[in-house]
Amino acid sequence: MTEAFLRARGVARRFGAQVALEPTDLEVVPGEALALIGPNGAGKSTLLSILAGSLDPSAGHVQRADGVRVGWVPQRPAYYDRLTARENLELFARLEREPDPASAAERLLAQFDLPADRPSSTLSVGNRQRLNVALGMLGAPPVLLLDEPTASLDPGQRRRLWETVAVVREQGGAVVFATQNLEELDLYATRVAVLQRGRLRFAGAVDEYERAHAEEVFS
Amino acid sequence: MSRMLLVLGKDLRVLRRSQLLVTLLVAYPLLVAALVGLVAGYGSSKPRVALVDEDHLPAVVRIGGESFRINDAIREVGKNVHLVRMSAAGADRALRSGRVVATLTVPPGFLADLKSGIASPNLMYQTTKGGISSRVTQQLQALVYSLNRRLQRAYLGTDLHYVQLILHGGDATFVGRKYHVLGLERMHVLLLTLPKSRTRDQVANFARIAGVALGFTGSLLSSTANPIGLERAPEKARSSLLSAQVQAYALGLTITFLSLLLAAGALAAERDENAVGRLVRGLVSLGELVAAKIALAAIVALALGLAIAVVFGVIVEIGGVVGGEPWVRLPLLAVGLLLAGAALGALGALLGALAREARAASLVAVLVVMPIVFAGLIPSQIVPVAGWVSDALPFAHAVRYFSSSLYDASPWASIGRELAWLVGLAAIFGLGARIAARRLLA
Repeated sequence: MTEAFLRARGVARRFGAQVALEPTDLEVVPGEALALIGPNGAGKSTLLSILAGSLDPSAGHVQRADGVRVGWVPQRPAYYDRLTARENLELFARLEREPDPASAAERLLAQFDLPADRPSSTLSVGNRQRLNVALGMLGAPPVLLLDEPTASLDPGQRRRLWETVAVVREQGGAVVFATQNLEELDLYATRVAVLQRGRLRFAGAVDEYERAHAEEVFS
Repeated sequence: MSRMLLVLGKDLRVLRRSQLLVTLLVAYPLLVAALVGLVAGYGSSKPRVALVDEDHLPAVVRIGGESFRINDAIREVGKNVHLVRMSAAGADRALRSGRVVATLTVPPGFLADLKSGIASPNLMYQTTKGGISSRVTQQLQALVYSLNRRLQRAYLGTDLHYVQLILHGGDATFVGRKYHVLGLERMHVLLLTLPKSRTRDQVANFARIAGVALGFTGSLLSSTANPIGLERAPEKARSSLLSAQVQAYALGLTITFLSLLLAAGALAAERDENAVGRLVRGLVSLGELVAAKIALAAIVALALGLAIAVVFGVIVEIGGVVGGEPWVRLPLLAVGLLLAGAALGALGALLGALAREARAASLVAVLVVMPIVFAGLIPSQIVPVAGWVSDALPFAHAVRYFSSSLYDASPWASIGRELAWLVGLAAIFGLGARIAARRLLA
């Protein structure tokens, strides 16, 4: 049996009295593209944040396989507006302990076709999201967590993003992405997890989900 | 540590690009310091006092053979208080409305009593209630002291004139009548013309001794009237604008504004830019993030504080002002600036973590700065509670440290005490900021 990159056991999260995520079990295994779907407020971003390690669960825990790096692309871009794209990439590359931060930044700037030396605050919406994704790719992580990554991208940019994601999977990595676009589910997911009102309703193969649950998830 | 330095480097780079913000952060506290200086200057300016002349004093008053110009006397006392002539009713209204802080009334018959030399007339004064009344009373006492000094000179002159008459004899006028006085000297001469006898010798001897004794009357009267004199030496001290206290307050105020606002804004901005979620994924811990903001505040406080101290030092050198150690003590001052900046930065980080959003954090920091500064400006001897509050905050300790390090001949005890306070406060607020920083992830 393949060892899971990430294993969530009973992870739950409250914000004050509000329950954002009820106790949830989930695994992320090599080679898969796991889609998290559900309506707004279902708990997708909370679950991804917990898996990424940027949010502590109120209960439960996440096990990470030894030495596995996790790339994190939050829904709202996470970088410094007053730094340029190059400076942001170099800073986070240093924090990720990339051996050659300048080269890593240069490679990602080219890969994502980003303006290098303009303040990030002046970038277009699409470029901002590409920089956000590029930052998630630092350190060549085998696990990539993407929170609605294509929401602000044009069709060409979406295609290039999924090509990048496909490379991660082809190299034995895993991708978890939250989406509300059921077309992306069909095209790019190998497995699906359905969340509703903070509760995991379904986790399984895409075709199984489509046969049984597609209509009720967004109803 | 290196990750903390990376975040610190990022913050300094961002700060360097926020020139308008830095300009405002530097200019605003300096402006406030100048305003505080002006208010302090106003506080020590001449109080406005109503003068009610119910005795209708003439322009020139002659007392004890000396002429007094009333306007000259008013001008002289005007060095301490601003006297404004008013009617009794007008003065009463002005006192009630606060347009004057006191009324000084010359009652009817004042001049007649004064001229008689028999009765001692009184000036009447009334002040507003509150803290300034004691100061006004002091000013009015100084006014009466000044008038009494002039009158003493006149009275002494008159008294000595009578003594001279008794000694040497001559014509005199007393209570409107003219007299011819023989005088002790001529009395002694006359006695010696009388037939010699034991009684004549005794009286002549008394006249001689009395004459000698009365010869000392002038100096004796002067020393009795003024047992202790007060003489003003030429001014050697530095002007109040360059005083140790102003410099220490300017430093304290500036770095308090800067450190609090920078640390609060910078920490909250990590959440605003959504970067904190990326950082805490094992890249930078919350403790390192808080430490970076504290270090940012300390470094900026050091740089700006030293710049202000150097400017002060140059002005002091150019002005040839004596006192203080503008250059030798700079390293000592640098230590205090770093620690004060760190303690204030820790407090700012705590505010930033609690406020969570950069705008709210900046607003909270501005709102908090004013009470901190003013609590530190209130003398603890007057309001003990203000002293306790300012003891629990870094501003007052920073000001005392700066003042001691720059101007005290033996600053070590004071510096050691204030350093201990600043280190303790930095640790407490830093710990609080670290605990509160979890709110940034919510």
